[in-house]
Amino acid sequence: MNIIVCMKWIPDTSEADLTVSPGAKDIKKDDLDFDMNDWDRFAIEEAAQIKEKVGGKVTVVSVAPEESEDMLRECLARGADEAFQIWSDEMEGGDGYATASVLASFINGRPHDLILTGTLAEDDGAGQLGGMLAEMLGIPSATLASRIEVQDKKVAFVRELEGGLYEAMEMDLPCLIAVATGLNEPRFVSIRAVRKVASIEIPNLGTGELGVGADKIGHAGARIEIEKIELPPEGEGAEIVKGKPEEVAARLAEILKEKGAIA
Amino acid sequence: MKNIYVLAEHRKGMLRDITWEAIAAGRKLSSELGAELTCILLASQPNTMSENLSSEGVRVKVVNDPIFETMNSEAIIKVLKEVLTPSGSYVLLMGASNAILDFAPGVSVALDAALATDCFSVETREGKLFASRQIYSYKINSLVSFKDSERVVLTLRAGSFPFTTSGGETKGAIENVACPVDSTSLKKRFVKYVEAEKGDVDISSADIIVSIGRGVGDEPDLDMFKSLADSVGGVLACSRPIVDKNLLPKYHQVGTSGVEVKPKLYLALGISGAFQHLGGIKGSPLLVAINKDAKAPIFRVANYGIVGDLNEIVPLLEEKIRSLKG
Ligand SMILES: Cc1cc2nc3c(=O)[nH]c(=O)nc-3n(C[C@H](O)[C@H](O)[C@H](O)COP(=O)(O)OP(=O)(O)OC[C@H]3O[C@@H](n4cnc5c(N)ncnc54)[C@H](O)[C@@H]3O)c2cc1C
Ligand SMILES: Nc1ncnc2c1ncn2[C@@H]1O[C@H](COP(=O)(O)O)[C@@H](O)[C@H]1O
Repeated sequence: MNIIVCMKWIPDTSEADLTVSPGAKDIKKDDLDFDMNDWDRFAIEEAAQIKEKVGGKVTVVSVAPEESEDMLRECLARGADEAFQIWSDEMEGGDGYATASVLASFINGRPHDLILTGTLAEDDGAGQLGGMLAEMLGIPSATLASRIEVQDKKVAFVRELEGGLYEAMEMDLPCLIAVATGLNEPRFVSIRAVRKVASIEIPNLGTGELGVGADKIGHAGARIEIEKIELPPEGEGAEIVKGKPEEVAARLAEILKEKGAIA
Repeated sequence: MKNIYVLAEHRKGMLRDITWEAIAAGRKLSSELGAELTCILLASQPNTMSENLSSEGVRVKVVNDPIFETMNSEAIIKVLKEVLTPSGSYVLLMGASNAILDFAPGVSVALDAALATDCFSVETREGKLFASRQIYSYKINSLVSFKDSERVVLTLRAGSFPFTTSGGETKGAIENVACPVDSTSLKKRFVKYVEAEKGDVDISSADIIVSIGRGVGDEPDLDMFKSLADSVGGVLACSRPIVDKNLLPKYHQVGTSGVEVKPKLYLALGISGAFQHLGGIKGSPLLVAINKDAKAPIFRVANYGIVGDLNEIVPLLEEKIRSLKG
C-alpha cells in the first residue's frame, strides 16, 4: 500500500492581529508562527494508522519553502517513511491550481494507491486542492471523510453532509481522500521521536527535477488573480464591555439579568 | 461570458435551499452580463424539482439517471464535462455545501475552468467577473478575478445571496438530455445514508446555550463550563475542535455539520466565529462572546463582547450570576 500525504505549511492566523501588506495582495507574515494545517495533522495520522494495519509505505510531500522542513520532520516522527519538499522561488504567487499541477507531476512519477489530504486549509480556506489533484491524476476522490477503512482494492468511507447526516460510500483504489478533522486522534510526538528521524534526508525538489514548465507554476500558473485584500469593514459589531475582569463579569451578569437570562 | 449555469443540489428528492441562492446569484450575473441563465438538474426522479425550477421562470436542463439519486462526484464531473464543454465561455455557479465541496474542484479541472470557492459576493465591472471570499481564518476579505479565463466555476456561501420568488408568471423551458456517460461502471459508489447518534442532551431545543471553542485550551476544566451553564439554566455546547479532541460528544457540536440550534441566549467562549459554526445558530439569539482576540470574527456578529481570557472571566461571571440570583 503506497500512501502519499500532502501537507500544507501555513501561518497560524487564528489568534494573531493581522495587517495587510503594502500593495494589499497579502498579509504581513514576518511575525506569524507557521505550522502544519490542522486538517493535515489528521491526514498524516490516518496514513500512519492505515500503514500499521495493512502495511506499506507513507510518503509526505509539501509544496512549501525551506522552513517547512520542521513540519516534514514531524511527519516522519508521526510515522511517515519519507518526506519531500518541493519549492523554487518562481512558485511564489501560485494558487491552488498551480500547486495541484506541481503535486500532480510529483505523484505521477511514483507508485500511489491512496493519496490523503486535508479537506481545507485555514489560510486560503479554499478546500480545492484534493479534488483538483485527483482530477489531474485521473482518479476518483472524496472530501470530508470522517471514517476510512481500506479493504481489498477499495476503500470504504463515511463522509460528512450537513446537520448530522453522513453518506457511506466506497471507492476503488487508487483514489484520493481528503479527510475531515476528528476522524482519528493524532498521536503525541515526543522530542525523542523527532530525534530518531533527525538523520533522514528530506530532499528538496525544484521545477527541474519535476519537469513542470515555468508557465505552470507561481503567478503564471495560477488561474486566480488576487485584486485586493482587506480587513472586513467594522460594521455594527458587538458592544464591548470594558474594564477589569471583575467589572466586566459583573456588568455581563447584569446584562444577562436585564435580558431575562437569569431568572 | 455567454452563459450562466447553476448546478442544482438536491437531497432525498428535494432541492436544497442553496440551489435557490445560487439561482439568485445567477440572475444577478445574467442581467449584468446579458447572458442566459440555465439550471442543470442531475437527478433520478427529476420531475417535481424541474417543475419547481421552471415555475420560477428558470430554464432547466435535466439529466435523468438512477446514479443521481445522490450527488456522486465522479458521475457529476463526467456528465458536466460532456454537457458543458460545447458551451464555450460560461460561469458555473453552485452552493458551497458539503456535497458540492466533493466535486467543484474536480469539475473546474475537467472543464478547464478557474475556480473560486465559498464566495460571499460576486460582481461584474465592464464585463469582467470578480468574486469576494474570506482567507486567513475568515479574518481577511479577498477580492479575486480570473485572468482571461473563458470558464469560471464559483461556489457560493449559504446565506449570502437571498432568493426572492419571481412570481411565477413565465415558465422556464425544460430540456431533457440523455445521460451522456455510462453511470454503471463508476469507481465511486454510494452505499447508504448514516445518521449521527443522538445523545442524552438535545441542544437543538435549548433556550440557553453556553458554548466552548478551541480557546478553552487542550486540557480544559469542563466542570467550570458545566457549572456556568447550570448557573444560567443552560446546556453546554461546543465548536468542532472540541469534538475533534474528544472533549465532548458530537451531539454537542453547533454548526453546519453539527447541530442547528435556536436559543434565546448563546454565550460563545473561546470561539472565533467561523462561518460553519455560526451557520448552526438560527433565530438571532442574544449572542455574547468572550474572546482574547479583539479582531475575532465572532465580535462582528455578537451583541455583547468581552475581550479577555475566558479562564479568568468565566469563574467571576458565574459568581456574579449566582449572587444576582440571590
Ligand atoms: C465543511 C466544514 C464543516 C464545518 N462544520 C463545523 C461545525 O459544524 N461546527 C463548527 O464549530 N465548526 C465547523 N467547521 C470548522 C470551522 O471552520 C472552524 O474551524 C471552527 O468552527 C473553529 O472552532 P473554534 O472557533 O473553536 O476555534 P478557533 O477558530 O481556533 O478559535 C479559537 C478562538 O479562541 C480564542 N482564544 C484562545 N485562547 C483564549 C482564551 N484563553 N480566552 C479567550 N479566548 C481565547 C482565540 O482568539 C480564537 O478566536 C467546519 C469546517 C468545514 C470546512
Ligand atoms: N502547498 C501544498 N503542499 C502540499 N499540500 C497542500 C498544499 N496546499 C494544499 N495542500 C493540501 O490540500 C488540502 C486543502 O487545501 P486548500 O485547497 O488550500 O484548502 C490541505 O489540507 C493539504 O492537504
